[in-house]
Amino acid sequence: MKKFLSVFVSVLFACALPLTLAGCSESAETVVLRVCSWEEYIDLGDWDEGEIIDLESGDIFGKNSMVDDFTEWFNSKYDFKVKVEYSTFGTNEDLYNRLSLGDEYDLVCPSDYMIMKLLAEEKIQKYSPRFFEENDENHYDNFVSPYIKNMFENYGWDEYAACYMWGTTGLVYNPEKIENTADVSTWKILSDENYKRQVTIKDNVRDAYFATLGIINGEELKAGVGDGRRSELLNDTDNATIAKAEDVLKQIKENVYSFETDAGKSDMVTGKVLANYQWSGDAVYIMDEAESDDSETELWYSVPDECTNLWFDGWVMLKDGIGGNEQKQTAAEAFVNFLSRPDNAVRNMYYIGYTSAIAGDMVYDYMEWNYGAEEEAEETLEYDLSYFFGGERILTADAADFGRDGEKINRGRQLFAQYPPQNVIDRSVVMLDFGDKLGEINQMWINVRCLDLKDISPAVIGITAAVIGVIVIAVLLYAFRYKLFINYKPKKGYEKSDK
Amino acid sequence: MRKLRFSRSQLCIPYAAFLILFVIAPLFVIVYYAFTNGQGQFTFSNFLNFFASTNTLGTLLYSFALAAVTTLVCLAIAYPTAYILARSGLKKKYVLLMLFVLPMWINFTLRITALKEILSLIEGNISAYPFLNSVIGMTYDFLPFMILPLYTSLLKLDNSLLEAAADLGADKFTVFLRVTLPLSVPGIISGMTMVLLPSMTNYVVLDMLYNSTYIMGSLIGSYFSAYDWNNGSLISLVLLVIILIVTLVTNRFSDKDAGARGAVL
Repeated sequence: MKKFLSVFVSVLFACALPLTLAGCSESAETVVLRVCSWEEYIDLGDWDEGEIIDLESGDIFGKNSMVDDFTEWFNSKYDFKVKVEYSTFGTNEDLYNRLSLGDEYDLVCPSDYMIMKLLAEEKIQKYSPRFFEENDENHYDNFVSPYIKNMFENYGWDEYAACYMWGTTGLVYNPEKIENTADVSTWKILSDENYKRQVTIKDNVRDAYFATLGIINGEELKAGVGDGRRSELLNDTDNATIAKAEDVLKQIKENVYSFETDAGKSDMVTGKVLANYQWSGDAVYIMDEAESDDSETELWYSVPDECTNLWFDGWVMLKDGIGGNEQKQTAAEAFVNFLSRPDNAVRNMYYIGYTSAIAGDMVYDYMEWNYGAEEEAEETLEYDLSYFFGGERILTADAADFGRDGEKINRGRQLFAQYPPQNVIDRSVVMLDFGDKLGEINQMWINVRCLDLKDISPAVIGITAAVIGVIVIAVLLYAFRYKLFINYKPKKGYEKSDK
Repeated sequence: MRKLRFSRSQLCIPYAAFLILFVIAPLFVIVYYAFTNGQGQFTFSNFLNFFASTNTLGTLLYSFALAAVTTLVCLAIAYPTAYILARSGLKKKYVLLMLFVLPMWINFTLRITALKEILSLIEGNISAYPFLNSVIGMTYDFLPFMILPLYTSLLKLDNSLLEAAADLGADKFTVFLRVTLPLSVPGIISGMTMVLLPSMTNYVVLDMLYNSTYIMGSLIGSYFSAYDWNNGSLISLVLLVIILIVTLVTNRFSDKDAGARGAVL
């Protein structure tokens, strides 16, 4: 026994020795950076030859994945090495639950309201002053859009979060099937009987609640309100408002084709539905898909007249993950910085369809390369992007790609979805975290989605109860049939068979 | 070098450890959450919430109705299938059985996606028939779980009993009703439990087929996504108790002795 043990132990040690040695040598130089972001939210490389983006300022091509390119770039530039463990999450709530269950990440990319929640819980590590220093290497600080920068400063997030992607919410629709543009200019289409079972809504309480508030406050919002009042109306979590929203959502539930998390994209492309509540980035994806589909359908994106939810996803470092480790923080900041380099921002934008927070000449070139008017365009339109890119940036685009109500551009194709014009920005609202009211609003959502006993007619309940009762009684009678009916006493001289 | 010897109780240790770690401990966690509030204080309010709300009771009813209909449809399809597979003299019956089990090897979300397209072709707009579609989806998903136990219990059936019944003057129908059916009750019961219970919570099928009404599984998920572990756990606990009751009741039936005795008598 002893001999066996000693052999066993020495074999174990022999196996473990190289491991520990390797572990030691690795931890001396290599920092493991644990990044967690949305699914399909970064360039995974492997582009086809024909996909090369040949801008005047240089060619852009995704050969390897962005993460690999970062690792290579970092390892050649810094005096220690980094290894990125990249994982993904499906919803902000999913990420938060994982964090509260003890998963540790160094760098995550949640949405605006989740950043607020994490910030309130003091879980976010501040970016170091280095990150904002003025030099050529700090791509984020050099190239982030002045509009985004200003927005983050207003909310007090600028030192804690670096914006990655941003966008609006609206309706993707098929202009051939919905000719009356007034129908897609309002969130009311979701509860419009004329489109019964032909529109979809997002299957999450925040987006549904936002559209519902847009419907409830439709008249006031359309009449034109100040920014403060608009934000107040669309962040209203008063109990009376929640009750009103519940009624509207119940109508919506009866009216829509589906509550979808992801399937709405393909349903829209295959023409199962006519309109689809969508985030702007996915809208771009859907429009691209529908065009390259066999049917070559042209879909449009419309931002309702009432309001649109302006959203941001930003990179934040977590205190629990970084744990005061200088090298880790350097690596995390370098990762964000690398993604913010304009050529990489273009790669990600091209790959995922969302709009990067990075402005700069190269991104603008890409916009022009992508959406600039062709020579054969019958009519062109001056599309003003100055608010985002800074300075005077007016892109000459094909007028046929936009739908106008008077002076205002309210609908359009990819460019409109990626960079909304000023008049859309004017009616946008950032939706804040529900805070303490989350429980009430979630209960409202559950009430909407659940079958309410009160809504079933008593006759149905009676019949169901009777059927269940009969079945239960029959089962019980059958189960106890020997005890109740069949007298089982053996005759004298016989013994019970199962003895 | 001596042989390693373990006593029986020592051999049990890994299993016991597994059970404690992955079965018992999570159960305690569920019970703890179910009877505490967000601040960790003991409370019955989750419990009262569940039974006082017409929404959760409605959901329970809806899930049960959906599961019951699914189970009955499965049984109606599976019994003749299993009977033919097990009792007929078909030469290639293993191939046939394989064909019924084959779909289980394909990921069920893929199968449901395909089903969605087929249903769209047939029905036009599938969102108009949410209950029907959910039943079809669940049946498609769980049918093998019904066929397999039925098949095994019918396969085991002793031919001499059938011959004896026929000898004593029973016609084919009577033989089926008085001998085959009672002897296959254990199979029916185990098939029913295997379909009924999961179909009360399998909300992915409903999501994918656009039934926007919640069942128990989606309700739990909805509480969890609002970080409300307490109400979610309580609902899981309620489901657990329902399962326990169903198992206790059905145990009486799967008692082979009783079934066999009924047939022989």
